[in-house]
Amino acid sequence: MKKIITILAIETSCDETAASVLQASPDGFEVLSDIISTQVRTHAKYGGIIPEIAARMHIENMIPIVNQALKKAKKKPTDIDAIAVTGGPGLITSLLVGVETAKSLSVAWNIPLIKVNHIEAHICSSLVSKNQDEIKSLLPALALVVSGGHTELILMNDFGKYKWIGGTRDDAVGEAFDKVAKMLKLGYPGGPAISALAEKYSPGKLSPEITLPRPMINTGDFEMSFSGIKTSVLYNWNKSRQGKKLKKAMAHEFQEAVTDVLVYKTASAIKEHKVKSLLLGGGVAANKVLRRKLENAVNEIPGVELSMPEIKYTGDNAVMIGVVAYFQYLNKDFCEVKNFRPDPNWEVT
Amino acid sequence: MKRILINSEEETTALAQHFASTLKGGEIVLMTGDLGAGKSFFVRALANSVGVKKRINSPTFVLMKVYNVEKQIFKKIVHVDAYRVETDDLLNVGLDEYLDDPEAVIFIEWGEKIEDFLTKNDYIFQKIDISITGLSSRVISI
Repeated sequence: MKKIITILAIETSCDETAASVLQASPDGFEVLSDIISTQVRTHAKYGGIIPEIAARMHIENMIPIVNQALKKAKKKPTDIDAIAVTGGPGLITSLLVGVETAKSLSVAWNIPLIKVNHIEAHICSSLVSKNQDEIKSLLPALALVVSGGHTELILMNDFGKYKWIGGTRDDAVGEAFDKVAKMLKLGYPGGPAISALAEKYSPGKLSPEITLPRPMINTGDFEMSFSGIKTSVLYNWNKSRQGKKLKKAMAHEFQEAVTDVLVYKTASAIKEHKVKSLLLGGGVAANKVLRRKLENAVNEIPGVELSMPEIKYTGDNAVMIGVVAYFQYLNKDFCEVKNFRPDPNWEVT
Repeated sequence: MKRILINSEEETTALAQHFASTLKGGEIVLMTGDLGAGKSFFVRALANSVGVKKRINSPTFVLMKVYNVEKQIFKKIVHVDAYRVETDDLLNVGLDEYLDDPEAVIFIEWGEKIEDFLTKNDYIFQKIDISITGLSSRVISI
């Protein structure tokens, strides 16, 4: 087996069309290209992702983006050792575009195809900057995956070996941000909008006092709930005069409440399961308050390392798909083109 | 339609459980009510009461989630969220496969969005509306 592997990775599970060429070896990963076309501006008009539009845009963008990824990496199809693609979870209409493209290229170029789980890729998104020895020293790890569709605490014993230990029982964190942003008329996507407003909040005599609940924080397990915080925002907001100062205070307290719950549950899980590291991943991993609180919490637990992805790898991207694919390649975990259908609800554990 | 006054999550759970016992399969239930009213909570309570072991979390992101049900007359619960989308999008992600399935019970949140389509195509549906009257009090019309 070759020591250095060149992978073309494709990701279309939601509203980003992405392709990347990366070289992987025991010494680490080299990202040769990382091309993303985001549709967020288009979908912002509708306050969320419209599946039919997303699928059409994926189809338009897919081949140009694969071509750009190859060109920027200065690689020809014959240089590629494997094609990796997100097989789920995600929106079925979006997943289909990437999967069918990867299948076609795999047949046309006669190279193996690797089906990657999108959540596993978020779990591993911070590992792109590490070599194999460094990665091994992080295991067993606890992963916190936070995005628009997911909020999960997952134990990772090794690549492909995951155990779900907790997560949201209702809304995902990113979804709660989006919905609260909609209530406060802050636009879409909600996360950045709420964070920006929350930063402008300054406590003091002139600011309204708002206290939102921290649901399930004392349940002693790793289950979370964000729907109740959302309901509480709605209730407090609707009975108020809906002024600008209250809006700032609400955005601030909402972000505090959500991150308090996430960090408390995550820290408890680290201690109980005696892991060596915490791996953070997913779109909400870009949230500065969450990153800061996690840093503080993990610092207080001796012997535990915090591995956070660069901001550019928090949202959906193809690089993280390539990272997971490398480890599947080493295990010869290839998939058959004929029977491969994307699975919108594919669970990693 | 009956209007039921609810004062706690437990009462909603009891109502959902009772509603589950009336289902035979093939029902389409349109759920209406504001953000945070408890539409998802109702569906989750109902699914749990008929023994669904999987986590029933929000379908907002993937638009539709399907849960298998054992030991009931109906075999599947289909949980749909039309919050962000229109009827065509729901059909694109495969709702049409379940609309004619006599073993599936379909709950569609923000169901008012698909009401016209169902009426035009002669589907029979029922409605559950939840309105917020206080932090934990609701009026459920069923």
